[in-house]
Amino acid sequence: MASVYEGPKSRINTSMLSQYISRPVCFVGRVQKVHPTGKSFTLTDGEGKAASVELSEPLDEELSGVVEVIGMVSNKATIMATAYNIFREDKTAFDLEVYNEALKIIHDFPQHYPFEVSASG
Amino acid sequence: MSVRLTEGAIEAFSTGSDVASPFLQVVNIRRIDGGSGPARFRLMMSDGLYTMSSFMLSTQLNPMAEQNLLAPNCICLVKKNVTNTLKDGRRVVIILDMEVVKSAEEVGEKIGEPTPYVEGQTKSSAPSASSHTAQPLKPQNGHDASSNRGPSRDFGKKAMPALPSTPGGSSKVVPIASLNPYQSKWTIRARVTNKSSIRTWSNSRGDGKLFSMEIVDETGEIRVTAFTQEVDKFFTLIEVGKVYYISKGSLKIANKQYSSLKNDYEMTLNGETTIIPCEDSQDVPMVQCDFVSIADLESRDKDAIIDVIGVCKSVDEVSRITTKNNREVSKRTINLMDMSGKVVTVTLWGEEAEKFDGSGQPILAIKGARLSDFGGRSLSALFSSTVMINPDIPEAYKLRGWYDKEGHALDGQSVTELKAGGGGGGNTNWKTLTDIKTEHLGHGEKADYLSCVATIVYLRKENCLYQACPTQDCNKKVVDQHNGMFRCEKCDREFPNFKYRLILSVNIADCGDNQWVTCFQESAEAILGHDADYLGKLKESSEAAFDEVFQQANFSTYNFRIRVKLETYNDESRIKATVMDLHPVDHKEYSRRLIANIRKLAAQ
Repeated sequence: MASVYEGPKSRINTSMLSQYISRPVCFVGRVQKVHPTGKSFTLTDGEGKAASVELSEPLDEELSGVVEVIGMVSNKATIMATAYNIFREDKTAFDLEVYNEALKIIHDFPQHYPFEVSASG
Repeated sequence: MSVRLTEGAIEAFSTGSDVASPFLQVVNIRRIDGGSGPARFRLMMSDGLYTMSSFMLSTQLNPMAEQNLLAPNCICLVKKNVTNTLKDGRRVVIILDMEVVKSAEEVGEKIGEPTPYVEGQTKSSAPSASSHTAQPLKPQNGHDASSNRGPSRDFGKKAMPALPSTPGGSSKVVPIASLNPYQSKWTIRARVTNKSSIRTWSNSRGDGKLFSMEIVDETGEIRVTAFTQEVDKFFTLIEVGKVYYISKGSLKIANKQYSSLKNDYEMTLNGETTIIPCEDSQDVPMVQCDFVSIADLESRDKDAIIDVIGVCKSVDEVSRITTKNNREVSKRTINLMDMSGKVVTVTLWGEEAEKFDGSGQPILAIKGARLSDFGGRSLSALFSSTVMINPDIPEAYKLRGWYDKEGHALDGQSVTELKAGGGGGGNTNWKTLTDIKTEHLGHGEKADYLSCVATIVYLRKENCLYQACPTQDCNKKVVDQHNGMFRCEKCDREFPNFKYRLILSVNIADCGDNQWVTCFQESAEAILGHDADYLGKLKESSEAAFDEVFQQANFSTYNFRIRVKLETYNDESRIKATVMDLHPVDHKEYSRRLIANIRKLAAQ
C-alpha cells in the first residue's frame, strides 16, 4: 500500500467516490458510526452523505469528530484506508460545509488545481 | 437690429457718475492671476467715443471670460456695477452683472474711433454718433432710483427701500456681492445667520481671541471674523437672526478651508468698523439654505459642504473622544430622515453635541455640513456649520407635516452603513498586498484604508521600544537627562520615570507581495503577546528572553487593517503603511470569502 504515499491524492466527497475507483484519495468527514469489530467506520461529508472506510487493522483508539482518511477506493466504492488523522477541534470547530465548497472549487477548476497530473503519470 | 453703444458712459464712469445699463464694446480683456484666490479679469471697454481700461470683472462672472464669451469687439449690456475710487483718485468699475448682447463674431470690428479718456478733455461727438443721444447720466447719489429704468441701482433699491442714507455714515449701502478688497468706504445691511462662540489662542506671538459670524443679504453671504479688541466691542451686540448695518471692514481672499460660504472674500472687523442694529429688517432674507435630499447624498462627492434638513429619528448619547492632537471633545450622532425616506447619520461636536436635545423628534437643519464617505455616507457638522432646531422655515413645516402623517411609520433605509460589528463588517476594503502597488493606494489626497490577510515574516527588533512621557495622554519621547530625570519637551517638565511605548516595524507577506508596516502600541502588543512595560523590563533584564518573544511572534497570520499614505521625506516619496488594527484570522469567514470571490470571478 506504499503507493498511496507516492503520488498526490485527490480530495473528494462521497458523491465523487464512484469516479475514483482504484485511485488514491483523501477524504475528510465526521465519524458517524464505528463498526463493533473496529475494522470499519462510516464518515459523513459536508453534504451529509455517508462513506464507508475499511481498515486493515482494527482501531486501537476511540474515534470521533472530524477525521481525514487517505486510501484507495475499492470496487464497492468504499475507502480502503492506509492512514487516518483526527482533526483537533479544541479551538474552533471544523466546518465541513465550507470544506466541501472548497473541494468543489478544486474539481470545478482543475486547470488551477493541477494535482492529478502527476497522479495519472 | 444693430446695437448702439451708450456714448458718454465712459466719461460718466471716469468722472464718478453712475450710468444706467450702458451698452459698451469690449476692446481688450486681460487675465490677472493673483497670488492666491481666483484669477481676475480686467477689461478695456469702449462707448464708441472713449475707452477706459479699469473695468474689473467680479469673480462670479469669471466663467464668461473663461468660456471666451467676452472677446474683443463683443457688445455687452452692463447691468450692475459699482465704481470704486482708489486713493490716487483713479476709478475702477467693478462689473457685477453683464450680458453679451452681440458676440465678437457678429460685430466683427471696433465701433468708432475711441480714444482713452483723459479728464477735462471732451471730444465732440463723432459725426456718426451725433444722431444718437447718449443715455442720460445719473448723478452718483441719485436717490430717485425708483424712476430709473435701468437695473444698475437695483441692489441699492432692494436693500434700502427709499433710504440709502446710512445711520452715522455717508457711504452708501452696497450689496454683499459687490464687496471687494479694493474699496474702503461701504456699508452693508445684512442678517447674521450664524455666530460662533469666542475662541482663544495662545502661541509664541501672543494671546488672543476671536469669533466669527456669517451674514447674508439678498445678493449673497460672507463670513466675518472679529479679533481681540473687536470681540470685546461687538460680541455681545451681535445676535443671530438680527439685521445690522456694518461699515468698513477689511476684505481678503476667503480661506475655503474654514468656510463653506459662497463668497470669494471674507471680512475681518477692524478698528474703523461700525456695527449698528437695523430695526426694519423685513426684506433682508433669513438663512439661505440649499437643502440636499438625503437620498441624493450618495451621488455627491465626499467632503462636499451641503445643507441638510431632516427629522431626528434617533439620537445617541454624548460621548467623549480624543482627537489626533490630544484634545478631548464631545460628540453625538443623530439619525436624520427626510421625505426621501432615507436616513443619514449626522455627527455634532462640542457644545452643539452637549446641548442638543433630541426629545420629541425635532426637525434639524444644518447649513454647511461636511459630507463624508465614512461608512457609506455620513455628515459631520463643522465649526462653521449652522445647526438649527425646529427652524422657522417652510421646509421644516412641510417635513413636520409629512413625518407626523406618514414618515413616522417608515423604517427608513440608512445611507450610512452600520459600523463593522465584529467579523469584518460590510464595507471592509479587502485587498492583497499586490493591490497596494497596482492600485496606487495611498497616492490620493487622503489616506487609503485596506484590510488584508497576511503573515508576519520579519519583525525589526531594533528601536522598537522608546521611553515616553509618563503623563497619561502624552506619548512624547522623553530625553534622558542622565541624572535620573527624564525630560518631556511637550509637557515642558522633568519626570523621575517614563513609560515604555512600542513602534514596531514588521514585514508582512501574502501570496503576492511583501510590505513593511508600522505597528504602534496596541497592535504591537497584540503581535508580541506582551505589553510594552513587560517588554521594556525584559529587554533590560534578559536579551535572550526578549529575542525569544520575537521568535515566537514570527510567522503568525492575521487580518490586518492598514492605513496607507504616500509620504515625502527629503524629496523621497514612499508608501507609509500603518497597522490600525489586527485580529486573528477567522478561517471559516476567510474561506467563505475566498470561495465567493472565486465563484464571482468564474461567473464573469
